[in-house]
Amino acid sequence: MKCTMCGAVPTGCEGCPIGSSIFVSQSLAALVPGQRATVRRLAAGSPADLRKLLALGLLPGVELEVQRRWPAVVLKLDCATVALDAALAGAVIVALAA
Amino acid sequence: MSTAVRPAPQEKSASLARLVLVGAPNVGKSALFGRLTGIYAVVSNYPGTSVEIMRGRFASGGRDVDVIDTPGMYALLSISEEERVARRAAVNDEPQTIVHVVEAAHLERSLPMTLQLLSLGRPVVVACNLLDEARRERRAPDLAMLSERLGVPVVGTVATTGEGVEALLAAALAAEVPVDGWSLPEPFSPLVTQLVQAAGTEGRGGFRLAAELALSGDEASEREVRAASPCWSEVAAARDQRWTSAEGFAVAVATARRRMALALLDGVLPGGGDVADGGARMLDRLALSPWTGIPIVALVLYFGFYKFVGGFGAQTAVDWLDHVVFTRWVAPIAGAATALIPWSAARDLVNGPYGLINLGLRYAFAIVLPIVTAFFLVFALLEDSGYLPRLALLLDRALKKVGLSGRAVIPLVLGFGCNTMATLVTRTLETRRERVIATLLLALAIPCSAQLGVVLGILSAWPGAVVVWGLVLVLVFLTVGRLAALFLPGAPPSFYLELPRLRAPRLGNVLRKTGARVRWYFAEILPLFLLASVLLWAGDLTGVLQWATAALVPLVRLIGLPAQAAPAFLYGFFRRDFGAAGLYDLAHRGLLTPAALTTAAVTITLFVPCIAQFLVMRKERGLKVAVGVLVAATTIAFTVGGLVGWLLRSVGGWA
Repeated sequence: MKCTMCGAVPTGCEGCPIGSSIFVSQSLAALVPGQRATVRRLAAGSPADLRKLLALGLLPGVELEVQRRWPAVVLKLDCATVALDAALAGAVIVALAA
Repeated sequence: MSTAVRPAPQEKSASLARLVLVGAPNVGKSALFGRLTGIYAVVSNYPGTSVEIMRGRFASGGRDVDVIDTPGMYALLSISEEERVARRAAVNDEPQTIVHVVEAAHLERSLPMTLQLLSLGRPVVVACNLLDEARRERRAPDLAMLSERLGVPVVGTVATTGEGVEALLAAALAAEVPVDGWSLPEPFSPLVTQLVQAAGTEGRGGFRLAAELALSGDEASEREVRAASPCWSEVAAARDQRWTSAEGFAVAVATARRRMALALLDGVLPGGGDVADGGARMLDRLALSPWTGIPIVALVLYFGFYKFVGGFGAQTAVDWLDHVVFTRWVAPIAGAATALIPWSAARDLVNGPYGLINLGLRYAFAIVLPIVTAFFLVFALLEDSGYLPRLALLLDRALKKVGLSGRAVIPLVLGFGCNTMATLVTRTLETRRERVIATLLLALAIPCSAQLGVVLGILSAWPGAVVVWGLVLVLVFLTVGRLAALFLPGAPPSFYLELPRLRAPRLGNVLRKTGARVRWYFAEILPLFLLASVLLWAGDLTGVLQWATAALVPLVRLIGLPAQAAPAFLYGFFRRDFGAAGLYDLAHRGLLTPAALTTAAVTITLFVPCIAQFLVMRKERGLKVAVGVLVAATTIAFTVGGLVGWLLRSVGGWA
């Protein structure tokens, strides 16, 4: 697997401009129901999309569980249930929980 | 939706206290407002019920208290117009106490905004609402501990029962400016401070917040700060150097506040996992999966709308009110009373075929009232259960095809009750493009409950006709929506929604809400109905009516209807439901064949929006859009109606 930020195969964190310790990550849209993950980064295409993600409570460091991905993505986070479409979910880069 | 009641007078007095209720959508602000002021604001179980600011005043201990209820907002960095409206009400330089209403079980989601509000330098009180649900889920927070840490009063409330409301009011009236403003930590605060100092506005908490929002990319705040702070460009450059953009800054600030909030909550929230209600979770799964969700929609439509609104409301109740109450009781009394009037023209105005009683009152009370009441009752049950957000999710993909998102479900479904009300609610949609498409589809393809009820009532003898009528409407909805989505410029919509818990509707609220809506509706339509009957009476007297009807006859004949149908179309200009009620009369006199009935039903459903709807369209969308919708709806109605009539007449058994 490659790092979604720079495309390099991760060998370590030294010198990475992002400064995160987890490099192998994927978009929330790729997760299946039952999977737990932590939000790493928001890659929203527009300021408006970013505000929607913030409004739902999706912030770096937030832990979530995917409950459903069809007809829209449904997540459990902070004991709340939120729904978002695949396009918005694609902008949330997460790291799977171990 | 809420309707603004009695705007408070502007003058201020020393004994006047002002409270503004602020908080995320669907946490119970309107319910608290109702408890405090005794004024009913529509309360539902879905985010975005209130679209307008409501004000109420009452006296408490010799002081006048003004309470302001605002539309919900997830954050002060606003997404939609309603959130901007709410922010302006909360964040301004008026002396007022902010009551931050939060959901007790979801403190980690709302506390960051509390911290943001504290930085305003105004008295703040936190109302931990829905405490009963939090207790049931064993997630009730330690309010005393939280209050001590925050440095402001934290009061637990259950707005639906009134628990804690008095304590909240007492705390709010005694609240003082907090000592700790909870300003942002190190890397952020110097930038904000620099902007504030350059503008010379150290004493204004509102400006400090504006500076933070401007740096986070809020356009309105940026204009304000840019004008006041000469160093804006340098500060923005410093921000971009560290966080690359306003968005990067916004995420970093939100993350920092969340961290502060979580630290504050350590020990305040009880440990242990979330005790979810297994039954509710199962229901949720059934409502959200397309396999079971679509059959559930069909059941709701069949029993709630077809059987209850169309069957009980539009047939049983209408028949009784029209045939028993009006024909047997009102008509003879009115006849006897008006016989005493010596002038025949005046007699006609009261009791003639277009008179105030026969057209105005009978249409309003005997035909429209039972149908509309039945609809609002079913709608209130759906709202309060929390089913509508699930329906929004289920239909999101389908609505994307017509340029809308699942969020449009709420105005669209409400449109089946009253298109005028629904057009007001399209304000909750995010982009202008979505609002225009929703306005057009409401005006065109969504029949209001009076139309729906009357049409279903008339067509019920021919199930085939109901099916044809329904299919035509769905087809027009999809085609016109698809075309509008293709040709209207703008970004495609996106769907994001917090799903509220499924809750058992509370009968008291359902009844109060239905009552409030029916009253609103009647205040809106009754004057129009009466005005219409005066105009029709005057038109009849002067011959203008005959002339206007004659002018409509060729158009009516063109789509294959008898000339007697023309007046129903004329009525439709006044109110959609008025036209439908005219059709009801026509059908009862047995003047229409199944083909003609179906044609008339299709045309009158698609036909022009009523005057009230037109006025709201003009107010909300502007004259250009309103006229455009009017022209499009009329053209499409007669084209589609003519086509349907022509097709049906060529099929055996319909003519």
